Amino acid sequence: MPSMLQTVGKQLRNHPALIPLFIFIGGGATMSVLYLGRLALKNPDVSWDRKNNPEPWNKLEPTQQYKLFAINMDYSKLKKDRPDF
Amino acid sequence: MAHPAQLGFQDATSPLMEELLHFHDHALMIVLLISVMVLYIITCLITTKMTDKHILDSQEIEIVWTVLPAITLILIALPSLRILYLMDEINDPHLTIKAMGHQWYWSYEYTDYEDLAFDSYMLPTQDLSPGQFRLLEADHRMVVPVESPIRVLISAEDVLHSWVVPTLGIKMDAVPGRLNQTAFITARPGVYYGQCSEICGANHSFMPIVVEAVPLNHFEAWTTLMLEEA
Repeated sequence: MPSMLQTVGKQLRNHPALIPLFIFIGGGATMSVLYLGRLALKNPDVSWDRKNNPEPWNKLEPTQQYKLFAINMDYSKLKKDRPDF
Repeated sequence: MAHPAQLGFQDATSPLMEELLHFHDHALMIVLLISVMVLYIITCLITTKMTDKHILDSQEIEIVWTVLPAITLILIALPSLRILYLMDEINDPHLTIKAMGHQWYWSYEYTDYEDLAFDSYMLPTQDLSPGQFRLLEADHRMVVPVESPIRVLISAEDVLHSWVVPTLGIKMDAVPGRLNQTAFITARPGVYYGQCSEICGANHSFMPIVVEAVPLNHFEAWTTLMLEEA
């Protein structure tokens, strides 16, 4: 492991053009992994704990934002207009 | 509807479709610039007298052609993601209509206030009046009030269909046993056409969708008329 890093470090010193490549590829991979993690943990379609939280998709509030971005939507203004069951 | 030999998108009738059009222009411009640049580089490479049999390398140009494409991709991705999230937002619709796909017609249910439901079959070509559009006209149009947000719940009764109105920027699959939701708002009164977009059997090409946007008082008169007819 450390020798791999040393090899990469030596290559970077001789070819500094690789640094932006590391930045963009590393950044892209990090963002993908973070988004997948967010989906796994916070998406209401996913149930990890079948005993305590079996159907999280039934517990959505009308004012809850479960998507990552809200462009034009004011969630605090939404009302609940469906019946409970 | 599309005019003959049309290559580009139809004019946008909903603000979402406008966003999609502008994004398409943006992305297409970037793609055209890249293609022209590549073509220019290829012609330079072919016609140059400067050739070197030794391998050349340059760190500076490598940095440039790593950073510039990355920035270009980010400039495409940001508006794209913005529109993607915008398309999923449903802001308090005034009316909910259910569009059910059958083999081979659509049925529309307006059950918010009264129990209005009707089928929409394509007008056969031999029954068209002069000026009507072949394979696009239907006997009953889905009438909606203009400039009101409308929610459409789409499903199917038998096989897969797809409810499509290009000028509103809507394409949503009609899946039996599943309810798909989409929303639109028409900026202008008018008649908007679409065609079923998921292969569904012999008459897949002959089950069009017609949306007619009219002022609210006309819409209310239409619902009264349709309820009386039923």
